[in-house]
Amino acid sequence: MNHFSNHKQEIPIVAPIKPDGTAWSIREKLWLGLSREEYKQQFLRNPINWLLIGIFAVGIPIILQRYLFGLSTVTHASNDYPWGLFLGFGLFGMVPLSASGFLLGTTVEIFGRKDFVPIERLALLNGLLGYFFAVVYLEVDLGMPWRLYYPMFISLGPAAVLFLVAWHVATYLSVQIAEVSSAYFEWIGWLKGKRFIKSIAIGLTIAGIILSTLHQGALGALFNYAPSKVHPLWFSANFMWIHFFCSAIFAGLSMVIISSTLCKTFMTWRCDSRFMDNVDKLTLGLGKGCAYAMITYLVIKLVGVAHDNDWAYLLTGWGQYFLLELGIGVVFPMCLFAYGVKNQKVNLVRFAALISVLGIVWNRLNTALIAFNWRLYQEIPHWKEVWVTITIFALYFIVYRFILYRLPILYQWQGEK
Amino acid sequence: MNTNPKAVLTAAALLLAGVLFPGHPSHAMDQLDAPETVTIDTLANLYQPVEFSHKRHVLLARCKDCHHHTTGQQDMDANCVRCHANSPESTTVACSDCHTPKKFYPQHVTAMDNPNLYHIDKPGLKGAYHLNCVGCHERKNGPTGCEGCHAMTDKGKAFFDVQKKTAAGTTKEQHSR
Amino acid sequence: MNKLFNRRGFLQGGLAGAAAATISLAKPSKAQATTFEGYPNSMGVLVDLSRCVGCRSCEAACNKEQHLPEPELPFNDFSVFDEMHHGQKRRPDETRYTVVNSYAIPGREHPLFRKIQCNHCQEPACLTSCFVNAYTKTPEGAVIYNADVCVGCRTCMIACPFNIPTFRYSSAFHPRIMKCIFCYDTRLTKGLPPACVEACPQEALTFGRRTDLLEVGRQRIRENQGTYVDHIYGEHEAGGTAWMYLSPAPFEQVGFDTSVPKEPILNYVKDFLSIVPMVLTIWPALFAGIHLLATRKEKMEQQNENQGEV
Repeated sequence: MNHFSNHKQEIPIVAPIKPDGTAWSIREKLWLGLSREEYKQQFLRNPINWLLIGIFAVGIPIILQRYLFGLSTVTHASNDYPWGLFLGFGLFGMVPLSASGFLLGTTVEIFGRKDFVPIERLALLNGLLGYFFAVVYLEVDLGMPWRLYYPMFISLGPAAVLFLVAWHVATYLSVQIAEVSSAYFEWIGWLKGKRFIKSIAIGLTIAGIILSTLHQGALGALFNYAPSKVHPLWFSANFMWIHFFCSAIFAGLSMVIISSTLCKTFMTWRCDSRFMDNVDKLTLGLGKGCAYAMITYLVIKLVGVAHDNDWAYLLTGWGQYFLLELGIGVVFPMCLFAYGVKNQKVNLVRFAALISVLGIVWNRLNTALIAFNWRLYQEIPHWKEVWVTITIFALYFIVYRFILYRLPILYQWQGEK
Repeated sequence: MNTNPKAVLTAAALLLAGVLFPGHPSHAMDQLDAPETVTIDTLANLYQPVEFSHKRHVLLARCKDCHHHTTGQQDMDANCVRCHANSPESTTVACSDCHTPKKFYPQHVTAMDNPNLYHIDKPGLKGAYHLNCVGCHERKNGPTGCEGCHAMTDKGKAFFDVQKKTAAGTTKEQHSR
Repeated sequence: MNKLFNRRGFLQGGLAGAAAATISLAKPSKAQATTFEGYPNSMGVLVDLSRCVGCRSCEAACNKEQHLPEPELPFNDFSVFDEMHHGQKRRPDETRYTVVNSYAIPGREHPLFRKIQCNHCQEPACLTSCFVNAYTKTPEGAVIYNADVCVGCRTCMIACPFNIPTFRYSSAFHPRIMKCIFCYDTRLTKGLPPACVEACPQEALTFGRRTDLLEVGRQRIRENQGTYVDHIYGEHEAGGTAWMYLSPAPFEQVGFDTSVPKEPILNYVKDFLSIVPMVLTIWPALFAGIHLLATRKEKMEQQNENQGEV
């Protein structure tokens, strides 16, 4: 962050010991070694923070309204569209964007690609926060949020797809907390904990792959419950889960590219040379992965159309919309990825990643809202529902930034590890 | 609704039978044998009893149109003729003699266990009245709305929440089928 | 509940495995009959659209029996048939478990009326999609709901092919699913027909054992040639429903969704559920193997270095 580095030249807190030889306290670490006044100044200087304040000023009262007076006061309370933006974007959109954790975990820990280490922690954190906020969105949407643990302990319906999602998201969230905790343990200086996490890293990673495969797929399989409601082009009984799983791969990778780009551009002061020197090369590597995942996705998408013999639908308005989604959301970024990787054009790959992330969110919204109940009518979300969705996303942004400012994600912790 | 005590029902049935058979049950029945009016009150609950002018209906329809084969006329319905082509008049002709007011109650549900039961789809009493009356009223432009035949009781008004204001400002009496 | 038990048993086995692997939650699965053909005496209702006159007595009876909120308009106000919401006719919601709609049919002098309520599927999609087991298909045929365990995720509303379950969105502290329960606790368990059936003057609703109703329905179609479409909606739709319909006009003209599959919704999910045990068993071995292969060189180098040092 430019404002930060302009006024405070040295990189803040990267080691347990201050330059004068005494140890940083946790409080000092939390305040980034700044005085309250300095912290306040840097906070107020940042125009993004003013935007966030604006979002919260309207969003928090609406969220209170939702919890005190019911969902019907902030949404259209539709019985035809039981899942709105909170789940359509918050759950079905955030979860694929958070596949980064298990993907980079697998690349580094399982495939032994140590060259991806500089970006691994960012990917893990991106995964953890994405999942965590998917659950936050869920808590806004659930009718009885105080019963979130019921499927785990009170009343079990193990034959339901959502049961699988609930268990896997919950356990995977724990796995991700464990994975990210090594950075936290370094930061608070509890090395025992860090060594323990390192010793079980392989186990955690493999658990992560299993859980991710199943629940990314399960989110797609949830729509298998609605064969007569989702438009045939977005529905494929046999391929639904594969479509969701496969698209989560490039969604997760693209999200890391975007996140690392933002860090590299706006948080330079927090990045160490290892990150800065490697990020371009790694972006190309991730872009390559995206291109491969996208071509696979495109093929199985078409196989899905062929398998159900939905060709005739392609000639309808819905078919054109479907092709538009595939064209803009998949084919276009795929070509950009391929071209960018081949010609070492990092910024092109970054642009492709942005398109691909928007494309996947578009796909999930299409499946959950737009192509859902395609023979009924289009539900247009209440503005308050949109605002709450943005508010939660702003909260996600703040927490993400708060952690990146402090924990050794973008930089290596100096001193004992 | 309309689950009146059995005693009332039986009494009504006996009354109706008594009126219908004034002493010579062995003769083929004549339209003149029929009562002038029949008070249909066994099911009255949400609506008041129906003062049914039998005399008037006799002029508009044949016996068998309502009483099937029970009055000795041959039913022309192809499904009935299969068995009832030569059925004699029966000893009872009141609707409630064949059509039960407890159609969907356990004893009638288990009656379906009888493999020899042919009339598996015989309407209950309320169904028999309404299906018979409304169908014909429709064809012959008789009243087809609920209150065209029986006025709503206070209980009925509560049941239908008629105290509520209607969209048009007044409670619509009927709508045509 | 045709074969639901085997399927559920099978799925529970598979997913219990999943749960066990994740957090050792092995639940002993109950021994279940291998050939369960549905509850023999399960009840149902046959709705005959040719008989319904749209008097809305069933709506009124349901409202009273289930202690639902007072209606905005009285039940003998027929202007409600013209109500439209997003171009759709009325539907059940948190204030009404059943509604009757009117359909103008080309070539017919009078409109047809269709009553909507829970169809009480043999293999309910709501039940199979519920992750807290809030739904139960009772031996009497009703699909009932337990508000005490419901989390309010509304997957049942997504899953129901007939768009029946509704949610009490208006309540912040006591939301719940609102849907027809076949008058289960107040009437069905006592052998009584549901309130709507008892209220129907036209006997458009015939209550009885589902198996008997199918015979009645077929007889009505056979003995009234030309009156009905030769189809009992609900005999096979969504795997069969307890509430079934006879119609004199093509079903899609009377608001029925004829694209509802003729098999249980659960069948669409089985493909995915069957991969779960596979992923759980194969993935660990596969990825551990890949890990060993991928890091083999590194390990060997390390060993060589160590030997070199010695």
